[in-house]
Amino acid sequence: MSLRLLSKLFRFRQHLMLLVLLGCSLAGLGQVRITGKVTDEGGTGRPGVSVMIRNSGTGTATDATGNYSLSTDLRPGRYTLVFSAVNSKSVESNVEVGSASSYTVNATMRQDALSLDEVVVTGVSAGTTRRSLGNYVATVNAADLTRGATGNVLAALQGKTAGAQIVQNSGDPAGGMSVRLRGVSSILSSSEPLYIVDGVIMNNSTNRVTNTQNSYDGNNFVGNIGQNRMVDINPDDIERIEVLNGAAAAAIYGSRANAGVIQIFTKRGKTGAPQVTFSTSVMSSSLREKIGVNQAPVKFGGSPDVFTQDLITNIGTAQNPALATNTTAVTRYDYQDYIFRTATGTDNTVAVSGGTDKTKYYLSGSYFYNQGIIRNTDFRRFNFRANIDQTLNNVVSFNLGLNYINSNANEKPDGNSFFSPMNSVTILGNFHDIFARDANGNLKAVGERGRVNPVSIIEDFKQGQETNRVLANMGLKVKPFKGLSIDYTLGIDNYTQNGRTFIPPFTYNVSTAFFGGAAGLDPTLNGYASTASNQFFQINNELNANYQFNITPSLGSTTQVGYSVQYERNRYSMLQGRGLSPFIETVNGASTVLPSIDDRSELSVSGVFVQQNFRFRNKLFLTGAVRVDGSSVFGENQRNQTYVKASGSYVLSEESFFREALPWWNTFKIRAAYGESGNLTGIGAYERFNTYTSAPYLNRLALTGRSRLANEDVKPERQAELELGADLSFFKDRLGLTFNWYDKRVNDLLISRQMAPTTGFSSLLDNFGSLENKGVELVLTGAPVRTKDITWQVTAIYNRNRNKVLEVGRALTLFSTNPGAPVALLEGYPVGVFYGTYFATDANGNQIKNASGFPQIERGTQVDPTTVTPGRDGTTGLPTGTTLRKVIGDPNPDWTGSLVNELRYRKLNLRVQLDAVQGVDVWNADWRTRQGVGNGEVAEQEHRGVLPRGYINSVYAIEEWRIDDGSFVKLREVSLSYNFGKVKFLSDLTLSLSGRNLISWDKYKGYDPEVNAAGQSTLLRGIDFGAVPIPRTFRFGINARF
Amino acid sequence: MKYRISKLIYTAGAAALLLGMGSCKKDYTDPSSVPSDQAFTTSQTLTAVATGLQRTYTAGRASSLFNRITLDGLLTNQYTVINQGNIAEYQLGQGGGTVDGTNTILGGLWTSSNKIIYDADQVIAGAAGLGDRGYASGLVAYATIMKALALGDLAMYWEKVPAGIGERVTFVDRADAYTRAIAAINAAQAGIAATPITAGFLANIPSGIDIPNTLNALKARYSLFLGNYSEALAAANAVDLTKRSVFSFNTVNLNPVFETSTSTNNVVSAAANFGLPAGLQPDPNDRRIRFYQTAAYASRIAGFDSAAASARPIYLPGEITLIKAEAYARMTPPDLANALIELNKVITKQPSADPFGVGAGLPPVVLTTQQAILDEIYRQRSIELALSGLRLEDMRRFNRPLTERKRNFLPYPFLERDNNPNTPADPAF
Repeated sequence: MSLRLLSKLFRFRQHLMLLVLLGCSLAGLGQVRITGKVTDEGGTGRPGVSVMIRNSGTGTATDATGNYSLSTDLRPGRYTLVFSAVNSKSVESNVEVGSASSYTVNATMRQDALSLDEVVVTGVSAGTTRRSLGNYVATVNAADLTRGATGNVLAALQGKTAGAQIVQNSGDPAGGMSVRLRGVSSILSSSEPLYIVDGVIMNNSTNRVTNTQNSYDGNNFVGNIGQNRMVDINPDDIERIEVLNGAAAAAIYGSRANAGVIQIFTKRGKTGAPQVTFSTSVMSSSLREKIGVNQAPVKFGGSPDVFTQDLITNIGTAQNPALATNTTAVTRYDYQDYIFRTATGTDNTVAVSGGTDKTKYYLSGSYFYNQGIIRNTDFRRFNFRANIDQTLNNVVSFNLGLNYINSNANEKPDGNSFFSPMNSVTILGNFHDIFARDANGNLKAVGERGRVNPVSIIEDFKQGQETNRVLANMGLKVKPFKGLSIDYTLGIDNYTQNGRTFIPPFTYNVSTAFFGGAAGLDPTLNGYASTASNQFFQINNELNANYQFNITPSLGSTTQVGYSVQYERNRYSMLQGRGLSPFIETVNGASTVLPSIDDRSELSVSGVFVQQNFRFRNKLFLTGAVRVDGSSVFGENQRNQTYVKASGSYVLSEESFFREALPWWNTFKIRAAYGESGNLTGIGAYERFNTYTSAPYLNRLALTGRSRLANEDVKPERQAELELGADLSFFKDRLGLTFNWYDKRVNDLLISRQMAPTTGFSSLLDNFGSLENKGVELVLTGAPVRTKDITWQVTAIYNRNRNKVLEVGRALTLFSTNPGAPVALLEGYPVGVFYGTYFATDANGNQIKNASGFPQIERGTQVDPTTVTPGRDGTTGLPTGTTLRKVIGDPNPDWTGSLVNELRYRKLNLRVQLDAVQGVDVWNADWRTRQGVGNGEVAEQEHRGVLPRGYINSVYAIEEWRIDDGSFVKLREVSLSYNFGKVKFLSDLTLSLSGRNLISWDKYKGYDPEVNAAGQSTLLRGIDFGAVPIPRTFRFGINARF
Repeated sequence: MKYRISKLIYTAGAAALLLGMGSCKKDYTDPSSVPSDQAFTTSQTLTAVATGLQRTYTAGRASSLFNRITLDGLLTNQYTVINQGNIAEYQLGQGGGTVDGTNTILGGLWTSSNKIIYDADQVIAGAAGLGDRGYASGLVAYATIMKALALGDLAMYWEKVPAGIGERVTFVDRADAYTRAIAAINAAQAGIAATPITAGFLANIPSGIDIPNTLNALKARYSLFLGNYSEALAAANAVDLTKRSVFSFNTVNLNPVFETSTSTNNVVSAAANFGLPAGLQPDPNDRRIRFYQTAAYASRIAGFDSAAASARPIYLPGEITLIKAEAYARMTPPDLANALIELNKVITKQPSADPFGVGAGLPPVVLTTQQAILDEIYRQRSIELALSGLRLEDMRRFNRPLTERKRNFLPYPFLERDNNPNTPADPAF
């Protein structure tokens, strides 16, 4: 038997002894009360500071005035009280417990620019301070989440965390949000991070229970539109959010964390008298800026009743196309005044929290209601939460969290159809009186094209959805002896999302493609109704054991082993029909029953890991881990994937020589982390199987082979990321700088690689090629002024990410998309670039125009997807040859950033946040459509003769014409609040006035470049096609405690 | 102490129990689809896959049928683009170098044609294993119709066609596709001759298709395209001209041309005079004008795309008669007398005498030269078979000037070119 093993055995026996001693020594305890006040440097009481007696598990938190009181059983001796709070350096104070029964310990907390002593949980099992982390983890606290005039937690997170690009894809009141941490990390699957709420993996998928029409089928055609389910969380319940950008620490979460982790911790009860918190607010939202519409007094061609649109309508023949040049006087309308409104809303939360030494609770109920700026749309959410912590004894503690959510949205069809509110006015020449009615009082058709009158959509269409959701978590913590803790977490996320869509039968000619009955009002086709339901169930089990001991007084070790199992099941069903009977809104009223959908899927993921951490004094930290994971979605031979990680950090400023030489330089920490992770849910539950799918066809059964062949032995994507970083702080922590550099590479990329159709398939699902994200993140924090009365705090965040698709071969993968955006995958280019036709230019970069003054599409010879040889006619100099294509735009920004200024004068607080997204292109489909149909401002120029007749017709097909500059700087959040402190029976009162998305500085030709009509799609981004613009919101709020 | 330890054991036990709840099962199968290796093993699944071929050929805007009608209509000036926002249609309407390998209409036709050939071959092979030969002969014949149409579509629009299905296939002259289509039809006809199709099979597929007549009609069509006039004539003579053979549609599965073009008034419109040049334009009294064009829709499209559930004929009786006329006129030596007789059958046909109501109702013509008869056959084919997807092939066969069409042959889709090094060079026009 080796010596080492012997010593281990001996150590184990020591622990056993300790356990026995601990049990026997209970007799000497006595009740002790410790009280005190915690203040900041200015002498103001600090609420919410955690006060813990080290190594005892006993603790409390300060109240609103900074006072605390702690009663516990303690043996006489020396104890250390640890005071910790967000954004502050921890403070330790010793107390000698003797025979007295009460002691007073006060403390002063100092702001910490880097929050090195803040406890971080994400990526480690037992909480650890940021100091020891080898990788970057950002923390956002409650105070920063609730000031921004939004009821959506992801919107509240915008601009507040480094490395994240958070986009609100739609201005609907429950509009979808996309979060990309360090760029897109997959092509086939979602690139959204893993969300964990109190240990429960929270599903954030986008389910199509409304907008169910078949024209929306296909993820890469339309995208992932609608609400995503993080909308169910009440931001008021959140204590803090930790954002883990990289793969380095993902080992703990297994391979679902390929795109990073966002972990949400909800509020928990604290020892003390019950505290009631009440917050209420009212909101007002409106369109930030209308776009200009055509004001020309005439239109081309004849009566508006005969033509829906006028600019590009061919009135000639196929051989001799011609445009109308005669004009008709018309009245111009601005339909924006009709579809948009000033919307109101309210957000209310009541919470009660408190507890004894052993039992703590947090209970809350909230009601959120917000109208959309599109008439007749709204979102309502009820949210109840109970968090209970129970200490059974010194060894076992238990916690339970329950969250019930009911959310309900009244919607209008999504932008991607021409019967959405936005597109119905975009696709119309603005010379139709949409309110005009015929002799029977029915609305009239808007021209000949079978479009839907916007009034029908706003007044008659009914679409909505409701979600009932329960999130439950149970945790058990066992500490059998000093140093060992065993945690077990069980989480369940269960919801049912029901949607209904109703398009009433039209009284006028609407195209059958828009669920009308065409010119003859065919009763078997006119109108559409559907009901859809998505049921989701997910259970995750995590068992972690953590053993901590000191090898020598200065060398500590933490060993962690963990096991996790996750299972999820999804059932989607949809009934639909068309040809509706009047008055009936359900599918029962349909004379033509359309094929129903019944989709079921199940998957499971499991994994084990071991992680070892060594720390030397408080300055050198090393961690290594191995994880083995398997997922049911991948081939049987790919069930065991092994991932490793390693990280280290060195806090140079802890060295005495450093402190002596550079006393003004408070912190200097360098760190490095390497980690691997996979994408265990990277494909759907059954996507690796080659199957024939069934559908009824003409009352018979049809089986259709998939166009995609799958490698049945496909394996998960494998990501390797190297992150290097430094944390620096200067001048008594008044200036802080965090720097991260990363190189993230996803190999064995899952791609539906294109195949020659002569193989019988169009694509092959396989591991192919790789994807790279390289970038830097900078966080600069400063406190230029910090006096008792005035503080000024500045935070600046800068992120730069370069995304590139590698080794996918020279072939072009060009996606045909609903908004016409030519989205491509091309080797050496970022994911999702726009690849299309462009303007012919001369040597000086000026557009080549023909004799009529019309710009020309570039022509010549396309050598390969990225190499062209333009051709020019010898005599006219105009382009000749076939149409050429190149990369014409990129929806991935060059950089994003934010700047937050926080000013406090006594009890008055002002916070101003600017967000910037720069160097990004948007596919502005709507802007072009407005010119083509004649309601846009370029069309007006053609009507007025400023541009030659036929100009828009000549450039309409040139795809580059739709590329728009999406760069912006936004006044994202402004919040002004006044804290009255104690007012009569209230222990604390704060009034606040805040605004969101108030100003946007941009050159964009649409409403707002922060948009994605394709919703939460990974591939289709930066597309403006009928999406509702993000409103400007003002909010007045009252927050009281008693 | 004892109390604490027992509690510890209980909690640990409870934890273990909970952990067991999330079992580690890893093998889940999709309850809503048939594994590929099992799809060709039973008569039911084989029939369903064959029905799936018809679905691929005819359902929706992505179907071969829509793509073929639209492609041919635009390239031969039968359609006018009325919204250049529909980029694929617009490119085809512009023609020439504007049509390239990204075009989704030609890409769609190429892809679904190859897919149909791939799956039809598997159905035909799978049918060999069935004991019920009468069922098998129906299955083979039904799948063969779809395969022949797919092969024919490739040959009508591309100069070279793939030699088969597989990795890096080579390309052969387009005539080879017609030859293969005819060979498949011959095999299907031999099967039916050995054991006639059972009624049980016909009940399992969508109604509307007259299998024996369609096989002969397609054989006649492709034989004519190959210049095998005696075979064309023999096959055409075998077609019962009183029968209808159609792709059916209903209110769930709409006629794709109606759904996308007729009803929307937003994609294409039917050109006046069937897009024919002066000298070939129809007689104003030709009753087929009213059959094919309407004022009810701004798109002016009527004919077989006039309503949501309008069935589309797979071939028209008029086509068969005109095949006979052309075969007589072109055979060596030409039989102009019989050619004129067959031609006049079409010219004088009353709508009521045609199973589909297609009839010119005009007085007979007297023509004496071969060229004059061929010119008239071209005019009659252009009108009688308007918007059926055959015009581009006719234009080439009747040596119409290139200026009458937007392209002579299509370029190959990038999807093929980028992934198959054997893809031929694109034709110049």
